[in-house]
Amino acid sequence: MITVSFDEKVKIGLQYALETLHGCSPFGLERIRRLRFYTPDERAALETELYNVEALTRHADELKDTYTRLMTVLCQIKDIRNSLRRCQNGEVPDHVELFEIKGYLQRLDSLLPLLDTINETAHLKDVSLHSPAAALAILDPNGTGSRGFYIPDSATARLKEIRAAKKDIEERLFHARTDAEKDDLRLQRTRICAEEESEEMKVRRAMGAQLAPMVDDLLADAETIGRLDFMVQKALFAVRYGGVLPQITDGALVLEDMVNPELVDLLGEQGRAFVPVSIALDQGATVITGANMGGKSVAMKTVALNALLFQAGFLVCARSAKMPLFHSVKMLFDDLQSIQSGLSGFGSEIVQFQKALSEVEQGYSLFLLDEFARGTNPDEGAVIVQAVTKYLNGVNAISLLTTHYDQVAPCAREHYQIIGLRDVDPEQIRRELAVTHEDGVAVIARHMNYGLYRVVGKSDCPRDALNICRMLSLKPEILRLIEENY
Amino acid sequence: MKEQLLQRLHSVRTMSIVGMCKNAGKTTMLNWLLEQGRLQGTLGLTSIGRDGESTDVVTGTEKPGIFVREGTLIATAQDMLRLGDITREILMTTGIPTPLGEVVIVRARSAGYVQLAGPSITTQLKTVSHAFFDLGADISIIDGALGRKSLGARAVAEGVILCTGASYDMNMDKVVADTAHIYHLMNLPKAETLPPEAAEGLEKCWREHGAALVTGALTDSMVLPLLRSGVLRNGRLVVKDPSKVLLKPDTLDKLATRSVTLETEEAARTLCVTVNPVSAYGWRFDKDAFMAAMTAAVDAPVINVKEELQ
Repeated sequence: MITVSFDEKVKIGLQYALETLHGCSPFGLERIRRLRFYTPDERAALETELYNVEALTRHADELKDTYTRLMTVLCQIKDIRNSLRRCQNGEVPDHVELFEIKGYLQRLDSLLPLLDTINETAHLKDVSLHSPAAALAILDPNGTGSRGFYIPDSATARLKEIRAAKKDIEERLFHARTDAEKDDLRLQRTRICAEEESEEMKVRRAMGAQLAPMVDDLLADAETIGRLDFMVQKALFAVRYGGVLPQITDGALVLEDMVNPELVDLLGEQGRAFVPVSIALDQGATVITGANMGGKSVAMKTVALNALLFQAGFLVCARSAKMPLFHSVKMLFDDLQSIQSGLSGFGSEIVQFQKALSEVEQGYSLFLLDEFARGTNPDEGAVIVQAVTKYLNGVNAISLLTTHYDQVAPCAREHYQIIGLRDVDPEQIRRELAVTHEDGVAVIARHMNYGLYRVVGKSDCPRDALNICRMLSLKPEILRLIEENY
Repeated sequence: MKEQLLQRLHSVRTMSIVGMCKNAGKTTMLNWLLEQGRLQGTLGLTSIGRDGESTDVVTGTEKPGIFVREGTLIATAQDMLRLGDITREILMTTGIPTPLGEVVIVRARSAGYVQLAGPSITTQLKTVSHAFFDLGADISIIDGALGRKSLGARAVAEGVILCTGASYDMNMDKVVADTAHIYHLMNLPKAETLPPEAAEGLEKCWREHGAALVTGALTDSMVLPLLRSGVLRNGRLVVKDPSKVLLKPDTLDKLATRSVTLETEEAARTLCVTVNPVSAYGWRFDKDAFMAAMTAAVDAPVINVKEELQ
């Protein structure tokens, strides 16, 4: 089963994506808060969900007003499942509970035509609500359609008598002269109020009992409302960031021009654009290499994000996508290591790796390792990562590694490299830096091409570090020494 | 007298009833207002926090219950509903939490006793008042809290009924003087225009503009030195609301002598003062002397809850 910690959600931008959703009903909000991922066994259900989300996305423009009206009604829905269950268990609902149930049924009633409108256009699969008419008739026997809840005099003949008597006593109290007379009437009033209470109790009990057989349908409707709420939010998300219905595969993962919504928004605020990334992965280890600041981690996080979005029933943020269903998604990011274990950074990294690996080996998984073993000396580190890469080639998982270390790429099935500063003339940047007062790092970042290209044949880690030193005008004496030893 | 009073009460849509102390006659006054044929139209009724128990929780004395007429709207905590005996129609759940459950608005479909436990925060009281009007109420009544705390309550009500009585103190002069003090604070004139805010100290602002808006509390230690040095004279001091004025009666007098007018940004007015010459603790005042002293001290109608409202 896929489990993702809060830290990991934040790290890869999944939390950001979820926070852009505006779930309206308590049931929808619950689904967003307790996000669950479809397992490979639930492929059919996932396909239905994706089909629906895609349909809602495709028709988002023409159904815009309907969505707005739908969300307005959804916002007014309260979670009354406990009251319904109490009815089912034969307990007596109180006035306020019956009021809430009635309100719920009325909202449900106003959802029906909206859902019909959506279905006429988008033809959703397996999204239907029961008519609440029968249940409403119990709580509003006279069909007044009022928002309030009131047990009418007509509920039972006895109640009618009691209420008439209560009114009569009230009248007599108003005109009573002597204290003795008043006291007597007050006693009578107390008695009649008690009778009214117990008669109303009978009526409430009967209402609860009549509702009981309908509770299962009503609870199912609550589920459906939650699903619909979430699906509309997923559709609006796909409209915002561009979403595509992926083709489900048995192993390969191909993402063309994928984006990361968090970075799209972040860069957008700075007036820059996120460069879409394309990658094709399959069983075995794939290595991404590239300069510092080059966006290796970004590429990896975006893969993780889209894999998880897909498995939660979202469209994928890419131009086209082919995705398999994973048994688990595990990620090891350099800065997420637990330092509470008392082990060194490296030690705890190994412990985490072991744990993740044993989960990965349970079924077809996505395994992401960001700068693995970077906490140790480069010679040893390289050997360790090479070995891990070789081993992962044989594991039934898509493993994706980013690394700095030399000679890791040849061990992997595939090798991607960040385009980085490959096509940039260092001299040009140096000249640009000389005339601006801008932060040198920001200027380089602007020229950095975050795209990936597949490396065919032998290649080692790029030597962008030296270029960066040149651009940032590192002390010439040091530069010369570096160049001599290069 | 009663006719005049009712006319005065009808000049506002929202009113709160504030007591100087326990057993000042708040509930007697409230019941009088709630009675059939008194205030015209549909009433909405709530309280600041918990009120309406039949024995006083603090003093253990017998208290009158709150009796509403048919059609009244009541905002009270869910757990309080079963302690009343009206026939109820639930109209709305407000989402306002209290220790006794969510505040719910019900319509009394018969006359009867209710127990009040309303919201305790000003903004929530405003929400409830708005809900009352949306649901068709004509007048909103808030059973307020005690003493100085409730000065803030006027932010939610246009008019205030101030209840005082012998239970406040054994010394009648003190009762009258303190009630008059609170009364004057509540009836500070409303500022027509707002002077500059005294952000960098009252003295600087006053020297520059001859007037000042004090956003926080206005205390003796701020005012007295300026009075002594003679800076503070002939001008306006504006505060946010009366609860911000923490000046002794004596200091207020001094300000008046120096022609400094104290004004408030938000103004409500006291509709009437009620007196209860009988204390819950055994003593009682001479009712005529008490009435006379109170009437002389304030310029609003004064009524004796023990006699005129019976």
